[in-house]
Amino acid sequence: MASLLIKGGRVIDPATRTDAALDLLLVDGRVAERRPTGQGKAAVPPGTRVLDASGRWVCPGLVDMHVHLREPGQEHKETIETGTRAAAAGGFTSIACMPNTTPWNDGLSVTEYIVAEARRKGVVRVFPIGCVSKSGEGKELAEIGDMARSGVVAVSDDGRPVGNTYLLRMAMEYTKIFDIPLIDHCEDKDLSAGGVMHEGYVSTLLGLQGMPGAAEEVAVASDLAVAGLTGGRLHLAHLSTRGSLEKVRQAKREGLRVTCEVTPHHLVLTDQAVAESEFDPNTKMNPPLRREEDRRALIEGLRDGTIDAIASDHAPHHMDEKLQEFDEAPFGIIGLETSVPLILDRFVRTGIIQPARFVELMSVNPSGILGIGKGTLAVGADADVTLIDPELERPVDVAQFRSKSRNCPFHGWTLRGWPVATVVGGRLVHELQTAAIR
Amino acid sequence: MTDMLEPAKLRTSSRRTAAGARPAERRPAPSRRPEGAAGPVATRAESPAAEPKPQKRLVALKKKHLLGTQGLSAEEILLILDTARSFAEVSTRSIKKVPTLRGRTIVNFFMEPSTRTRSSFEIAEKRLSADTLNLSPGSSSVVKGESLLDTARNLEAMAPDMIVIRHQSSGAPHFLARHCRAQLINAGDGWHEHPTQALLDAFTIREKKGRLKGLRVAIVGDLMHSRVLRSNIFLLKTVGAEIVACAPPTLTPVDLSRLGVQVTWRIDEALEGADVVMMLRIQRERQRGGAFPSAREYYNLYGLTVERTRRAKPDVIIMHPGPMNRGVEIDSAVADGPFSVILEQVTNGVAVRMAVLYLLAGGTLGELAD
Repeated sequence: MASLLIKGGRVIDPATRTDAALDLLLVDGRVAERRPTGQGKAAVPPGTRVLDASGRWVCPGLVDMHVHLREPGQEHKETIETGTRAAAAGGFTSIACMPNTTPWNDGLSVTEYIVAEARRKGVVRVFPIGCVSKSGEGKELAEIGDMARSGVVAVSDDGRPVGNTYLLRMAMEYTKIFDIPLIDHCEDKDLSAGGVMHEGYVSTLLGLQGMPGAAEEVAVASDLAVAGLTGGRLHLAHLSTRGSLEKVRQAKREGLRVTCEVTPHHLVLTDQAVAESEFDPNTKMNPPLRREEDRRALIEGLRDGTIDAIASDHAPHHMDEKLQEFDEAPFGIIGLETSVPLILDRFVRTGIIQPARFVELMSVNPSGILGIGKGTLAVGADADVTLIDPELERPVDVAQFRSKSRNCPFHGWTLRGWPVATVVGGRLVHELQTAAIR
Repeated sequence: MTDMLEPAKLRTSSRRTAAGARPAERRPAPSRRPEGAAGPVATRAESPAAEPKPQKRLVALKKKHLLGTQGLSAEEILLILDTARSFAEVSTRSIKKVPTLRGRTIVNFFMEPSTRTRSSFEIAEKRLSADTLNLSPGSSSVVKGESLLDTARNLEAMAPDMIVIRHQSSGAPHFLARHCRAQLINAGDGWHEHPTQALLDAFTIREKKGRLKGLRVAIVGDLMHSRVLRSNIFLLKTVGAEIVACAPPTLTPVDLSRLGVQVTWRIDEALEGADVVMMLRIQRERQRGGAFPSAREYYNLYGLTVERTRRAKPDVIIMHPGPMNRGVEIDSAVADGPFSVILEQVTNGVAVRMAVLYLLAGGTLGELAD
């Protein structure tokens, strides 16, 4: 019988409307008992390990619903093992991985491989996302039933928007059988073709081909119309423009079953970063970094509830792939090990969002969207816990990342508020060296 | 050797002398002067003196690379143009060579086709007595799949002093500047910058008009894909010219007016009262297509004809960075007509590039004056 006592921390568990100093006893992978700190002694089983959490936040394990683990097929970028280690180091206990592996996760065999490999080598919980269409080609439906049966929690063609509205309609109807969301990357490829950054003043200045914000908004509008038509569950990935958020806000008002996520980098950086870094490919991602007014609108969306989740879109690329001309380098940056400190430093410390809202955005809501039953520290819940030191200040150092890749634009930034310990199923899977363990 | 940095030398000297430039043997400051070194001279009589002279005149370019005209100060621009003026004389001699960069190795690394720029750099280098090597995509291992960085690092392993790079991707020279030791000169990157073109354009304008400040320059053509446009805007804004940019809206980059230029799609409006008309090539190879229905219609709407040119000032000069699409953006009657300075641009390109190479190698204007 394995047990762990997390003592003296500030338990922030919005699912049970808790924000209090509690001791948390985890036994056999479950939350066994919660008791106000200092009030009597819990019936602690012999051999219980004690984790001193004084001065720390004790949160339900964080969930990153948009991660690329690259395995199978692109193990030079990341593997399930390294990706889950990065997740643990970043404070995540559950992650959902996108299907754009080689081959695509469009059927039973790849799904089963991912699930099995995650069980063998994974450090945190891995929930695969399957394809909407066979090989992500946007032509015919993939065998979603097979995948759902073997563990897929959502479907998406990842970076390839489901541009064919008929296929989208069929997929949104079909996924009702399994009650899983369809996650779409919104981009009108005709409008964005050839673009490598946001189209605007900075792209004009740098002579780089732009992708206009409208390319995203056209697709958002189209997807929302199909969601309205079908009544299916739609989740919009990494929204990046003010116009997209306005459309989602309106759709929610109309009662559509739509949710959306935003990435830390779109909340923190703008297209100016491309100019300031003089074409650093680590400022190249899709959707691209947008204008300041878009960034401000995203922050407003965090506050007013339009945005349901923060997800990293962790996109590892090998150094050789990123060490190229801006045009040639692939899109994407890693995020698992910087998401939490970026959000804490920029938005929680500054009072833009409250700690409980942070937990909603990074645990409760993504768990709810994927239906994976996490996001709470209620008695009886899975013992997935993230400990955060809100005062710890340290620099981002890519050399210390657990991820196999280093494509991160935040290297050298000093941030305050870091995950310091990660517990999955009652087992301590990561602790920051500065964290006091007794 | 004597300290030749005194700025007044250039302005006061009117002697024609054979002992002008000294080779810059060591960066950043050249320190040796071989006996009998011959170099170009500057003469007061020819010096365009319209620009207000700063109190303390800049004589050296304290830059490692030339990646763009963005960020060049007015003083730096005038230094390059003044230096180019000195070098222009070299090209008029029967022996068109000075020993200024003897012993230096310069690689011309051209990843995109180029006639003018590559040959202009090569001639400039040869007239400065540098050793040159030309690399183009067909002759390099890029066709074997070698990355840009690996190609550059391998070139660098042979210890060139400078790499002149032309590349189809915006920012490629900036990327190499982060990872290489050699000095880099941007000879055109994607749609971004082409600094030596803008410098030679400015040189040509200044020769013809005696000044840059206050001139109205109309830039007409494919604005979207033009690195010449961007470099010219950065440069001409810095020295106080007024710019009007004209293209169909389909070839106009968004927010161009935020660069401080007037933007219009009416060519007659752009040409009205222009001192300088700079035509830009329609870059079909860079376009996705669909920006205009046909070359014929483009010519009808935007082609520079004799008729349209009449809206400009009577002493207008017509420029084009080349290569021209005759009968598309410009009528031959204009291109070859009395107002055209298109071939002079090409001539001036050599002197401007000599100046850039010389100054980046640590040379100073004072030395040239003797």
